Amino acid sequence: MYLTRRGLIAAAGVLVMTLPACAPSAPGGQTGSEQVTLDVWGWRQEDVAAYRKIFKLYEDAHPGVKVKYVPYKADEYDTILRTGLSDANGPDVAQLRSYGLLQPLVAAKSLVPLDGQVQELAGFPEPVLDGARGESDKQVYGVPFAIQTLHVIYNKGLFDKHGLAPPKTWDEMTTAFGKLKAAGLVPLATTVTDTWMLPIQQEIFGATTYGGHDYLTKMLAGQAKFTDRPWVDSLARWKSTSEYWPEQYEGVSYVDAQALFTSGKAAAFPGGVWELAAFGKSNPELELGIFNVPPPPGAAAERTLVPGYVDGSFGVSAKSPDQKAAVDLVRWMASPEFGRAFATELRQISAVPGVRPEDPLLAQALAAYQADPSPYVTYAYFSGGTPTAWDLASEAFSTFVAGRSGAGDAAKHIQQGVDQWFKPSQ
Amino acid sequence: MTTGRARPSRAARGGYRAGRTSPAWIAAFCLPALVLYGLFVVVPLGTAFYYGLFRWEGIRPAEFAGLGNYGEVLTRYPLNEEIPAALWHNVLFFAGTMAVQNTVGLGLAVLLYRNPRGKRFFQTVFSLPYLISPLIVGYIWSLLLSPTFGPINFMLRAVGLDSWARPWLGDPDTALPVLILVNAWQWIGGPMLIFLAALGGIPRELEEAAAMDGASPSRAFWSVRFPLLMPAVGVITVLTFIGCFNLFDLVYALGGSDGGPGGAMDVLGLLYYRTAFEGGTNAIGESSALAIMIFILVFGASLVLERFLRRREVTP
Repeated sequence: MYLTRRGLIAAAGVLVMTLPACAPSAPGGQTGSEQVTLDVWGWRQEDVAAYRKIFKLYEDAHPGVKVKYVPYKADEYDTILRTGLSDANGPDVAQLRSYGLLQPLVAAKSLVPLDGQVQELAGFPEPVLDGARGESDKQVYGVPFAIQTLHVIYNKGLFDKHGLAPPKTWDEMTTAFGKLKAAGLVPLATTVTDTWMLPIQQEIFGATTYGGHDYLTKMLAGQAKFTDRPWVDSLARWKSTSEYWPEQYEGVSYVDAQALFTSGKAAAFPGGVWELAAFGKSNPELELGIFNVPPPPGAAAERTLVPGYVDGSFGVSAKSPDQKAAVDLVRWMASPEFGRAFATELRQISAVPGVRPEDPLLAQALAAYQADPSPYVTYAYFSGGTPTAWDLASEAFSTFVAGRSGAGDAAKHIQQGVDQWFKPSQ
Repeated sequence: MTTGRARPSRAARGGYRAGRTSPAWIAAFCLPALVLYGLFVVVPLGTAFYYGLFRWEGIRPAEFAGLGNYGEVLTRYPLNEEIPAALWHNVLFFAGTMAVQNTVGLGLAVLLYRNPRGKRFFQTVFSLPYLISPLIVGYIWSLLLSPTFGPINFMLRAVGLDSWARPWLGDPDTALPVLILVNAWQWIGGPMLIFLAALGGIPRELEEAAAMDGASPSRAFWSVRFPLLMPAVGVITVLTFIGCFNLFDLVYALGGSDGGPGGAMDVLGLLYYRTAFEGGTNAIGESSALAIMIFILVFGASLVLERFLRRREVTP
């Protein structure tokens, strides 16, 4: 028994020594009576330096407030944030995913609703606020920070070399791709194995076929379905471009596709505007251009549409000990000053109305989106329940492009999944 | 051993006799392991079962749901179709691994046992991939197998085998076999080492007796050695079974969380990951229910398998 007692005492000793390490520290922020430190959590590790510059503007104008951007790994962020928001030691302000991915946080009542607290939100267009809205109560929970638009990004040097210009019609586009292919180039660097890119490609090549916002309005009202002709046709139209995809595209990954494009082996890359900064970094010699896919014959839309969506927003933790200061900060994030700094430092399209990006390509993307916007249907509008249309689309399109199912089957997969929870608006 | 033999009187006095060991000593030696086991196995398992009984709103349990989450997971489209498909892929993966990894592992063990020259070297070489994380193995192989930049297709084309160059991980027909082969490449050293040790434990006289009775080498192997290897076969089969049904990191690195082209590599581990980390508001409830179902399946099947294999064991 002597040993047991001694063991117990030793164990108790170890426990006493380790317990303080597990104890929560003092609530982040209050270090003095006036000094407030706001922790802003996010998923962009590569943007720390840029955010430091941006928040310096706020700190200079608000003495006594320190703002710290705390980044986590993008693929672990959602899980870390869910736990972090349940505790006063978590973030004061958090970068929030948009649409469906936001809903678990809204349901857990982890966020402060911003309606009435951030008057500047009244100036944001409704489709932009949709990205930060709770599906259940329709309240806005974050100040949207970026708009992502989807395009065909092309290599200007290669287009010029082959006497090609951004196409004005579908036929012009396919003729140009045919010419590039004949010259031994990959016309379109697409990925198939990274399935999250498939719904993006479908919007880029299919939006005009189903008709963009007009069709979405009917879908939300229950008057149109994924399985109806225009949407099924949009899938077939997208896949008809597969003759211009890389050889054995079934096995091409996202990174492979990026490398094909930046190395000059591929002439164009269908993707989001966020690729521009990455492409510029990996090959500074590359002269980039963007265009959107003109309507094919028989398309529902007559004009070339530009798909886009809200990337995310900044919201306030309901558990923040400095909630007032945190709300003040997100209010500033809805101002043109923040928008301009964000666009300049991060080379992205700010969601703040009236802020024009300095980068000419981003300015072109934003102007085109504002003139002829189209929704990212599966990601933005059918993501409030489980399974989301985006998950269903990623799975179904993977089977579809591998040639194991038809366009109708893929559409049916999405519709069947969504029908389990989606209620059309009256 | 020597000490024990030199002092029989002390043992006779009962100082270290198992029957008289003080319960305090037993507790002292078992406690650390028990605490760790309890903390990292029993508690999470109990928690998962408990969590699975509630409907969740984010990280907040909203209401008691009983077995509702189990029903939801088993009936909701497309989960209701993905569960049997993923289970079938796990079964195929297990069968493939048994056929490739363990058979070749046994073959290598017999080769090294018969030809001890370079045994150490080959043992090390075959076991080296053990040291690499499956995630890294997955990423390396996905680069090797890439149809655009991968050296495997490049070499096939270079020697005129153009038609053999395939989008290995993008073709639903080749994805699962490739997964089995890559997994076997990494773990083949395990069964080889276990079989090698087991072969070393078989008395030579038995084989010599079989040879004197006129048995051919293959007859001697199948009738004498193999039955005596059954305990090793049993251990390896159960370990392979558990490994195959807990598969996650390698398949995630090779095919992403969706399980490759058209879900051709989708397995229960990925399905759990998607439900837990890419699920909706009630992700905790549903993924906990799914985890418990997977646990019951793997634990139950392991028990049955172990019983079955035990019955086939023989002693020299």
